[in-house]
Amino acid sequence: MLLVSGKLANEKITIDDSSPEGTARIHVEFDKGKLVKADPDSTILFMGGG
Amino acid sequence: MPNIKSGRRLVSLVICSILVFAANSMAAQPKGKLTTSDKKVIDFLVNDWGKDYSVTSVDIAMDAVGVKQSEETRFRIGSYIKAHPELHEVIRRWGWVTLVLTPDEKLIARVLINTEREGKPNPSVSEIAKAVGTGEGQTNSGLAMLERYEIIKRDNAAGGPSYTVVPRYLKWEPRLDFLFHTVTLERGRRFNTN
Repeated sequence: MLLVSGKLANEKITIDDSSPEGTARIHVEFDKGKLVKADPDSTILFMGGG
Repeated sequence: MPNIKSGRRLVSLVICSILVFAANSMAAQPKGKLTTSDKKVIDFLVNDWGKDYSVTSVDIAMDAVGVKQSEETRFRIGSYIKAHPELHEVIRRWGWVTLVLTPDEKLIARVLINTEREGKPNPSVSEIAKAVGTGEGQTNSGLAMLERYEIIKRDNAAGGPSYTVVPRYLKWEPRLDFLFHTVTLERGRRFNTN
């Protein structure tokens, strides 16, 4: 998230991840630092750093 | 005369032993020896690791340098990385497992690890496939790769094979092991981050 809101703040970014507690896949997309898509809908996003 | 005969036998035995040893060495060498394109992948990784918190994995690097995806190639490069932590601080810091496995393989490992940690019966291949969202063929390939890296052990019990996790991987910090965060930029760059 530091990259998304910092060095890569002017980019379109896709992040493919997974739930650390299980095996569910997580797909999120950002455009210029803003979240535009999160799959699944229940994805919880913490964007710290101010 | 008996001494000469036994001496000849000894010389023959030594020559045979040398030939067998040489044949074994020659058979083993090409399997683990890096090709020119393998070296390109490793050079790419060594140059990429650490930039933007990159912990890029072998599969992504193969795509980046235009090397065709193959499990044999990936295993050969991964084994080299495993054996050479001196290549880069990222290997020593994040561990070779983070760098050599694909996301699917990491998820398959996590299914097995979580199951064992929770004391549940070993899952079947179809149960693992369902949990990870991969086909059975892909799941079997992933299991085979984890077995080759000695992360899991296969047990050919009655009713089909089952897999157990090598104890050291069960003792890793829960929720921090076998993770991946793959970042793809619209302009084309793709990497894993920590």
